[in-house]
Amino acid sequence: MYLPAALVALAMSLPLLYLVVRASAAGRSAWNWLLRAQTLQIMGQSVGLALAVMLAALILGVLLAWLVSRTDLPGRSIWSALLPLPLVIPSYVGAYLFVSFFAPRGLLQNLLEGWLGIERLPSVYGFWGAWLVLTLMTYPYIFLAARAVFSRGDRSQEEAARSLGCSPLETFWRVTLPQLRPALAASSLLVGLYVLRDFGAVSILRFTTFTRAIYLQYQSSIDRSAAALLSLVLILVTVGFLIAEQRIRRSAAENPHTAVHPAEVIRLGGWQVAALGVVFLILLFGLIFPTGVLFYWLIRGLLAGERIANWLGPLLGSVSSAGLAAMVTVVFAFPVSVLSVRRSNWLSQILERWSYIGYAVPGIVVALALVFFGANFVPGLYQTLFMLLFAYVILFLPQAMGSIQSSLRMVQRSLEEAAASLGENPLRVFQRVTLPLITPGVASAAAVVFLTTMKELPATLLLAPTGFSTLATQVWGAVSEAYFARAAAPALILILASSISMFLINHHATLSGSSQRQ
Amino acid sequence: MIKTRYWLTLLLLAAILAGCASFSASSQAQDAGRLVIYSGRSESLVAPIIEQFSQASGIKVEVRYGNTSELAATLLEEGKNSPADVFYAQDPGGLGAVANAGLLAELPNETLDKVESRFRSAQGLWVGISGRARVVVYNTQLLKAEDLPADLFGFTEPRWKGKIGWAPTNASFQAMVTAMRQMWGEEKTRQWLVGILANQPVVYDGNTAVVAAVGSGEIEVGFVNHYYLYRFLREQGNSFPARNHFMNNGGPDSLVMVSGIGRLATSKNEENALKFINFLLSPVAQQYFAGQTYEYPLVAGVQTEADLPPLESLNSAGITVDQLADLEGTLNLLRETGVLP
Amino acid sequence: MKEPLIKCDHLKKAYHTQPAVEDVSLHVYEGEILAVVGPSGCGKTTTLRLIAGFERPERGEIWMQGRLLSSPDIFVPPEKRRIGVVFQDYALFPHLTVFENVAFGLRKQPHPQVNRQVNQMLELVGLNHLGKRMPHELSGGERQRVALARALAPRPQVLLLDEPFSSLDLDLRLKLREEVRTLLKGMGLTALFVTHDQEEALYMGDRLAIMNEGVVQQLDQPEVIFSQPINPFVAEFMGSANFLPGRVVEQGIETEIGLIPQQVSLPAGSEVELAVRADDIGFDLKGPANGVILSRVFKGVMNVYKVRLHSGMVLEAFQPHYRLFAEGQPVRVFADAGHELACFHNGAAVKGDERHLDGVTKD
Repeated sequence: MYLPAALVALAMSLPLLYLVVRASAAGRSAWNWLLRAQTLQIMGQSVGLALAVMLAALILGVLLAWLVSRTDLPGRSIWSALLPLPLVIPSYVGAYLFVSFFAPRGLLQNLLEGWLGIERLPSVYGFWGAWLVLTLMTYPYIFLAARAVFSRGDRSQEEAARSLGCSPLETFWRVTLPQLRPALAASSLLVGLYVLRDFGAVSILRFTTFTRAIYLQYQSSIDRSAAALLSLVLILVTVGFLIAEQRIRRSAAENPHTAVHPAEVIRLGGWQVAALGVVFLILLFGLIFPTGVLFYWLIRGLLAGERIANWLGPLLGSVSSAGLAAMVTVVFAFPVSVLSVRRSNWLSQILERWSYIGYAVPGIVVALALVFFGANFVPGLYQTLFMLLFAYVILFLPQAMGSIQSSLRMVQRSLEEAAASLGENPLRVFQRVTLPLITPGVASAAAVVFLTTMKELPATLLLAPTGFSTLATQVWGAVSEAYFARAAAPALILILASSISMFLINHHATLSGSSQRQ
Repeated sequence: MIKTRYWLTLLLLAAILAGCASFSASSQAQDAGRLVIYSGRSESLVAPIIEQFSQASGIKVEVRYGNTSELAATLLEEGKNSPADVFYAQDPGGLGAVANAGLLAELPNETLDKVESRFRSAQGLWVGISGRARVVVYNTQLLKAEDLPADLFGFTEPRWKGKIGWAPTNASFQAMVTAMRQMWGEEKTRQWLVGILANQPVVYDGNTAVVAAVGSGEIEVGFVNHYYLYRFLREQGNSFPARNHFMNNGGPDSLVMVSGIGRLATSKNEENALKFINFLLSPVAQQYFAGQTYEYPLVAGVQTEADLPPLESLNSAGITVDQLADLEGTLNLLRETGVLP
Repeated sequence: MKEPLIKCDHLKKAYHTQPAVEDVSLHVYEGEILAVVGPSGCGKTTTLRLIAGFERPERGEIWMQGRLLSSPDIFVPPEKRRIGVVFQDYALFPHLTVFENVAFGLRKQPHPQVNRQVNQMLELVGLNHLGKRMPHELSGGERQRVALARALAPRPQVLLLDEPFSSLDLDLRLKLREEVRTLLKGMGLTALFVTHDQEEALYMGDRLAIMNEGVVQQLDQPEVIFSQPINPFVAEFMGSANFLPGRVVEQGIETEIGLIPQQVSLPAGSEVELAVRADDIGFDLKGPANGVILSRVFKGVMNVYKVRLHSGMVLEAFQPHYRLFAEGQPVRVFADAGHELACFHNGAAVKGDERHLDGVTKD
């Protein structure tokens, strides 16, 4: 296991190598800028936003996951399928839609002015707008992780706590939540890093973050060295997050137990209305409004005579690259995940942490790193689908890892050992025993990678074979030139295609999950 | 259960195969050869004209669309191994960077001479194709053209507080500030920047957003490029309550910037590249830019859209595009004054 | 007669898939261990869960010390009942150490006191050196003891144990149940012990409640249940019973193995079934043979024979280790009980003549 894991880690190092090479050529002005007091403030803003979003996403994600898997909320299987969907909306699109809806003179205000005479809405820009939009887009990470744990819940422990004097709330706090901790730590790390490296949403919402500064280096001065220097600093901050997450996770003791009794279903009673309200509100802001605005643009554009551009090609491009990315990334994620769960020594931990490098920096950095290496060292592979997939793996490996790790933790070692004693070699043990048991986790990992790849932009633009287009690139091309109607159709198709995939994977995951409990 | 799984897998495989098929190199290389374009101009803008070229010449064209600066960075990283033949940039900054790295080849004089010398690189490494002018876009319901000051400096007056929108991260804006530094001098430019800041301008991340905001009344005026307005007019009709105002005073406020194209020195398709560049400078293409994207054609003898002031009346005497490509000083100034983080 | 500590009246609870409790009434006295036993699916675990407060009864009431805990209208949540529970799968909290697990229910108390109590408990169960371990590092038996210590630490009024030894191997099971019983008796605790193992029930329980199909069949001292089972099911469940058909006659009951001189309050000619335990049967080579030895299993202390009567009926019989009969040997089988046999008519026990009851006292 060590060899494949090491190879994967080596592959992850390419962006880092590139950054170090470039940063060494950074000029004085870059260093001067870096060491200003104001820069520290910007960094502080970035970290502050990341932490705030993490907190909000945690609360929201856990609450929703709990409602959907542990209570008798009506329609919960539908909500369960819909609630992860805000993940599919690219952040720049989402922010844009949000702004057009909530801007001081946007759609909502126009509507309200007509009905209720409201002239001014509270400002959607700045920290709070960024916080709101990013939370809505990232809570699905937490939601998916928490839901996976909740749905495997075992009744006995919670009843034990009750018999020892804990009220239902106390039980949740002292017994259920701590066991969510590893999953929550990993997924909130993803959320935090996502916020740190996001550029699209914060620029539209006018909040200055460190990553925006990196982008400006590329955009305005095309100063790759300065950008590289700043990216290295960003990586340092990320390391801080990684260390913190490790501490919080605390060596999550393997808690393998197949649930003897599925957890009891909590009756909400009068709270049903409030719970439904919360779910509906989230879906409203995270899914319904954005889709609504897109339809509005589409209709408006069609009425004005716009034609819908060819979408079939980009659709196939999106689905094929995302599908392949999901499969390949999951496969690559296995060695490191298995190592870190089954043999948690310092080496495997380092290998695991190392894999986060690709996730720590903006996509443009990874893209350029691969351009550099690809064009100069392996021109035969440059601008082929392979290179692009490689980029996706580097970018999204951590997402797959978290889910696979947590489902591995739930498999009793004794099962694997039993199989071994019955004469199966390690690979067969894996195939016949472990793999079927971790299928829900693997499916979840694949789903997340699939969705994020569908909306990925910078790497696709630079590394895909020339002429290869995806729905995401199509949307971007149109939005950047204010052709909103032209952006609406591919954006809607993007959301639709992702949603369908989400449904299918969900369906499969819950099926195999529930069949294991019998 | 099993059925669903098989069906799913089949579907996925089919999609993958179809996807692979759609891009895999079709070995029908036509006789005329191929051309690889890196375009910082977006697909919605230039795909039609590129398609026209491909049809007319029989050359198989492959285009990589992206952000101009990101493509420039890509070219810099690719270095000698770049598969690109031409780089078609939205603004001169990217071209300048690539040119300075020695990656562009000199263009023949007959190509360069098709446009005025102020619209091409002094060393002949790239040539401008179409132009856009800086304008002030204003909300027609709240303002009349007469209400606007004579030049940009007028917007530093207190009455404009809270009513201005700008996009300082945009390349054209930065080009304009560079022009200001050249023509007004460093000090006056600084004063202008500080003065506008004092009026608490609303910051947007692109020209599009500024025009949209002016139209909705969120702000009253914005500093943008002229052609964005036309998108809105086309999509939302003439009732869209915003119009362009050209400063027309020969200062940096009516700067014309060009989108340009250069040929990569490492290109293996020199002939096709030149064909393409010449095509873009031909009346057919220039008319396309005038009529479809509402830009200024740079080749003499092509009509602009009816209500655009003629090219000659604009600009900034003496400013060359090369000078505009020098951004470092501008960026420093913008950072010092706090306009950029 | 003193009041029971726990009283259940006519409880009813049904699920879609889970076994139901039809009509369960039982009572537990202070200081006694009531063993609730029955086959899989009989409702014993559900009954325990109803008492613990994890389920609400659809009908019936649960009282503890004069306080109503459950009824269709009233429900006291489990955390307010002060009833300890030891689960079948132990349900230890995997994210806490052994010490923290045991201390879990002692939250509201000051630290030094908690320390003392926990250590005391750990010592009581023999685990005082394992305080810092995590549950997954423990063996099955150790986990069991932690579960016990945890449930006992808050000094509950009643302890419920749900098949606590079922996942342990035989040796451990025997050892642990002895320890647990000693512990419970030593603390004077009231306990309700659920098991499917009849032998375990006999060992643990001061009294037994035999359950089947959601109803308590018989609730009494083990000896009474054994000698006076209330119906064939109970008789069968308590083990090693042969059911011998018979007919009531004036002198007693006529059976294939002879006349049983037992008077029952039924008219002559009634068809009955007698529960003849394996140790109630004797063999003889003298006299007319009415059966043939089918098999013999030597158990060291005794021989277990299967003998087939001429009617085809097969009886199981215990004989001392020195009484050896070969397979195929014709024998005379007779009743050699020394006590009244349980007699059933139409599925219910028939009252015998009370003169023949042998010194078994009832409370």
